[in-house]
Amino acid sequence: MSLHPATLEVVRNALYAIAEEMSVIVMRSARSPLLKEAGDLSSALTDAEGRLIAQGRDIPIHLGVMGFTVKELLKRVPPERMREGDVWFLNLPEVGGNHLPDVKAVRPVFVDGRLVAFAINLAHWADIGGAVPGSYVPSATECYQEGLRIAPIRLFAADGPQRDALDLVLANLRGRDEREGDIFAQFAANDVAARRLQELFARHGAGTISACFERLHAESETQMRAAIRALPDGVWEGEDWVDDDGVDDRPLRIHVRVEIAGDEARFDFTGTAPQARGPVNTTYYIACSAVYYAMKALIAPDVPPNDGCYRPLHVHVPPGTVLSADPDRPVVGGNHETSQRVVDAIIKALAPLLPDRVVAGGPTTSGVLIFGARQPDGRWTILYEVHGGGEGATAAKDGASAVRVHMSNVMNTPIEVIEGEYPLVIEEQALRLGSGGDGAHRGGLGFRRAYRILAPELTLTSMLDRRVVPPYGLAGGGDGAPFRITLNPGPRERVIRGKETVRLAANDLVVIETCGGGGYGPPAGRSADATTREGAEDPTG
Amino acid sequence: MRVGVDVGGTFTDLVAWDGAGRMSALKVPTTPDNPAGGVLSGLAAVARAAGPCASLAHGTTLVTNAIVERRVGAVGLVTTRGFRDVLEIGRMSRTHLYRLDLPAKPEPLVPRELRAEVSERVSADGSVLSALELGELPAIIRHFQREGVESVAICLLHAYANPAHEQALRLALAQHFPFVSVSSEINAEFREYERTSTTVLNAAVMPLAARYLDDLAARLAAGGRAVPVHLLHSAGGMMSVDAARARPLTMAMSGPAAGVAAAAFLSRSLGLSRALAFDMGGTTTDVCLVADGVPETARQRKLGDYPVRLPAVAVESIGAGGGSVAWIETTGGLKVGPRSAGAAPGPACYGLGGHEPTVSDANLILGYLNPERIYGGSIRLDRGRAEAALDPLRRRFGLSLLDAAYAVVEVANANMQRALRLVSVQRGYDLREFTLIAYGGAGPVHAGALAREAGISRIVVPAHSGAFSALGCLVSPLRYDAVQTYRIRLEAWDGTLVADRFRSLEAQCQAPLLDEGHAADGVLVRRSADLRYAGQNYDLEIDVGGGPDALRAAFEHRHRQLYGYATGESVECVNLRVTAQLVRDDVALPHAAGSTAASAADTLRAYFRETGPVTMPRYERASLATSQTIAGPALVEDEWSTTLVYPGQRCHADRRGNLLIEAGA
Repeated sequence: MSLHPATLEVVRNALYAIAEEMSVIVMRSARSPLLKEAGDLSSALTDAEGRLIAQGRDIPIHLGVMGFTVKELLKRVPPERMREGDVWFLNLPEVGGNHLPDVKAVRPVFVDGRLVAFAINLAHWADIGGAVPGSYVPSATECYQEGLRIAPIRLFAADGPQRDALDLVLANLRGRDEREGDIFAQFAANDVAARRLQELFARHGAGTISACFERLHAESETQMRAAIRALPDGVWEGEDWVDDDGVDDRPLRIHVRVEIAGDEARFDFTGTAPQARGPVNTTYYIACSAVYYAMKALIAPDVPPNDGCYRPLHVHVPPGTVLSADPDRPVVGGNHETSQRVVDAIIKALAPLLPDRVVAGGPTTSGVLIFGARQPDGRWTILYEVHGGGEGATAAKDGASAVRVHMSNVMNTPIEVIEGEYPLVIEEQALRLGSGGDGAHRGGLGFRRAYRILAPELTLTSMLDRRVVPPYGLAGGGDGAPFRITLNPGPRERVIRGKETVRLAANDLVVIETCGGGGYGPPAGRSADATTREGAEDPTG
Repeated sequence: MRVGVDVGGTFTDLVAWDGAGRMSALKVPTTPDNPAGGVLSGLAAVARAAGPCASLAHGTTLVTNAIVERRVGAVGLVTTRGFRDVLEIGRMSRTHLYRLDLPAKPEPLVPRELRAEVSERVSADGSVLSALELGELPAIIRHFQREGVESVAICLLHAYANPAHEQALRLALAQHFPFVSVSSEINAEFREYERTSTTVLNAAVMPLAARYLDDLAARLAAGGRAVPVHLLHSAGGMMSVDAARARPLTMAMSGPAAGVAAAAFLSRSLGLSRALAFDMGGTTTDVCLVADGVPETARQRKLGDYPVRLPAVAVESIGAGGGSVAWIETTGGLKVGPRSAGAAPGPACYGLGGHEPTVSDANLILGYLNPERIYGGSIRLDRGRAEAALDPLRRRFGLSLLDAAYAVVEVANANMQRALRLVSVQRGYDLREFTLIAYGGAGPVHAGALAREAGISRIVVPAHSGAFSALGCLVSPLRYDAVQTYRIRLEAWDGTLVADRFRSLEAQCQAPLLDEGHAADGVLVRRSADLRYAGQNYDLEIDVGGGPDALRAAFEHRHRQLYGYATGESVECVNLRVTAQLVRDDVALPHAAGSTAASAADTLRAYFRETGPVTMPRYERASLATSQTIAGPALVEDEWSTTLVYPGQRCHADRRGNLLIEAGA
């Protein structure tokens, strides 16, 4: 059907407004510290086939994955089983997923009894059960140690919350009050989205809205194809390494062969390390997420991300690799460590092709530290904290200091929140001078944060990367300094590895120093003016 | 004469009220190089027209512009040892998700060499972990002096819980620096980055605000009469000159606050319980919710890329205005804005060199603006130029010229619709309860269509809309705000302790009012608390009347309204807030309307989708009688603006000269 140009814009505006409103509801009303302070959540709308139509302005890792979640859910739960008012929850990595803490809530939307769309949101729960508080188990060798695996289950129906099912979920994780709050927050967001979508259909008619959906896909596809066509045909290869998998102490290779042909691009991950024993495995969906993010950032930042945008991008992952592990392998860290390494490999592959667009290596890791302390009343209090670092430099500018890059954009937790709510004192938070890679443009600085433990007993889990393999420089620029975590610095200090659980006692001091960014271009190419400026900023020289 | 003055980017608006019901308004050009001089020449013009100024209520964008354009002096920051980089580390998130070419974060407000540390430490509960080492100060003072620092910001960890160390530092530093800004006084709330950013920005604008206020006072004094001056702050209230000197950052959002304050006044005088202030100008549209005559305020906003955590009118601003340019996306979609043709070259129909199609060009083609009218003193709209500008769109989409123009207006309206919903529906309100108060150059043209789309039943186009911002200054109540972080679960709520804390916040807010000789019983005090379910992070501000049970009930009611559910979990308080304002709605707008029914001045050809081409009457606003009802489609014009009454809508003027439109939604 032919669409009036104004109608498409009116509908587009409405769809984006709905997706954004969903994120606001989850963020404001959720309980997990990650959701509330850090915004580790995403929202999207799909059409009746599960194809992504509109997303809130959220976390790139999630958004790529959510483009698969509903499609895969529909293979498990056919539309005939879905009813008005249902909200299905799931977290299985193999069903359009990534790792267990990221729980997706999916609401089918009906108009006149016909399934027309889905509202979906994803929220990182602070705990999903498993061997340690916070559900990051560096030593896990099976997915079953990582927490509760939620196959698609209906937690809400038209008559309200399904108490038995809810209780089954809540019985299997820590902090049930908080988790119940998160579940309701996700439900509320979907509920509002469903109402808004129904109003939109009522106003414009199902035919018009369907036509708009098709147009939105087609527009993005056209734009992405045009962006690829502007590149020369050819084949480029790149690789990078994950430090280790937490169980076996050796780096894992991520290798990509990028083939640009006409208006399509093919990403072949043959040559990537075999699936790991430890929790850095991830799913095909995450590999796709990383490809989508990298191509959007490198060649098409303004294209509205939806199903059409990704149609010209083909991803091949041979079976049995760290990017296509068997479902019983552990995956918790692969979500934000291995995924970021995929982006690094693509950037390194395309650096010769796009020297003015690429950015040198940076903190492509979540930098996660999880502090779990048992309170006097026996309940766990869990601080899940992310740590950014120095951004890599580009051909045009120095990298920013202490920032999140690429697939993640989760904020830190303020010191005054940590000290007010957790048995910890932050003794220092300072830029890590000298950590940026040298170059014509320098990498940004990492930072240092020192945590003093007040609780009598506390479990610390690290789940981060770039502690061994440093962020790379490009075009002759130097590497950034890698992460370092030190327990009780001094003569009896001990280095904490990037994927490890340690038990701490009162008065222990944990110092994390985050990575600097890689430099771009040879240092000799740096302008004298820029050198002075940096000198002035760094009184220690 | 009480005079309201709003200094905008291009024009300075003045409104004078004689205390008996006579009001006069005028506009003079703004003089950026000599802002106080501009105000004075405006006052002189008022004096000639209406009489001498007895008191001045003043809004200015001086502070906003200084920050946005980074025209501020060097600030030295003193903070807790180990934490001078808090300001540069910030919250670690980047501004753009997919833009590798843009800076990931803004430049730190204070460069590293001007961020000094002192030994001291306070914990979250306010207890002192290590004492303040004042002996370290002389070296810091010398360093700052060498670097030419004029203004100092002090922000220590947890100072909201115990300000003693900050106060000691202030005492010492005030002897060496003319301007000192202290975090526990500016914003006694937890979250160190946001508090530091707010305190530093305040320090940055203190010198220029002080210079301006001194200059203004000196020039007023030179006139031989003492003229009391008050300044408009971001939350839509007035404050004393002393308060403005100490906290000039509170003026940062006073631009949009002025119009919103006038809309709030109007909604009080009309008895509207739910209103939306809708200000559509040439480049942007600002929308703000006004509930029971009080503008909604937000507790944190961004200015440039920096957080400012001070109360400000909760305006949502979007890039859609009369000058917004319509364009075709690479994929063939029709877009309107956010780029604007602005005032120069302006819409194509202005004939000032603009060739791109804008919303105003579309309005002109549709007959929603009068081509015979002179706008802004000299501009006559040229329909031929508007048609030429829209021609490429028309051909690209295969539409008639009228259909193409209609599409441009529809897309612009859809953008604005989003802002309307953001401040209302997304905050748990039903738009059907609202009245739209439309002002700004283009607001009264679009209000009718927006109201109909949104299900809003009534529109008010205020009298004096041309000097609405100045009116806002004149009618805003004196108002002071204070906040203090206080973290406690409602189960542990200690009524006596809370009452003590409220009293001390109230004393802070009331002091400037009492100093000016206002009686305590004329001051309306509002106590509120920021509440959340334990574990949540976004809190809801709830009025504090009764005890913890009443608070919990009110919180759960609001939570359900906003998010659709409540759970019965434990509720905690994080901040206590007090607002003190002087209740004084003594400004009565003059009667304006004529008494004999006017007939249409002439007719215009217009186009609406539901009617097709029609002939509609045009009225002079000043000639309308109060009893007269005009049926749409019709155009009502005054010196300042054009009001479009859509087909099916009915319009009449009230005795104050406001136009009331029944939108028929």
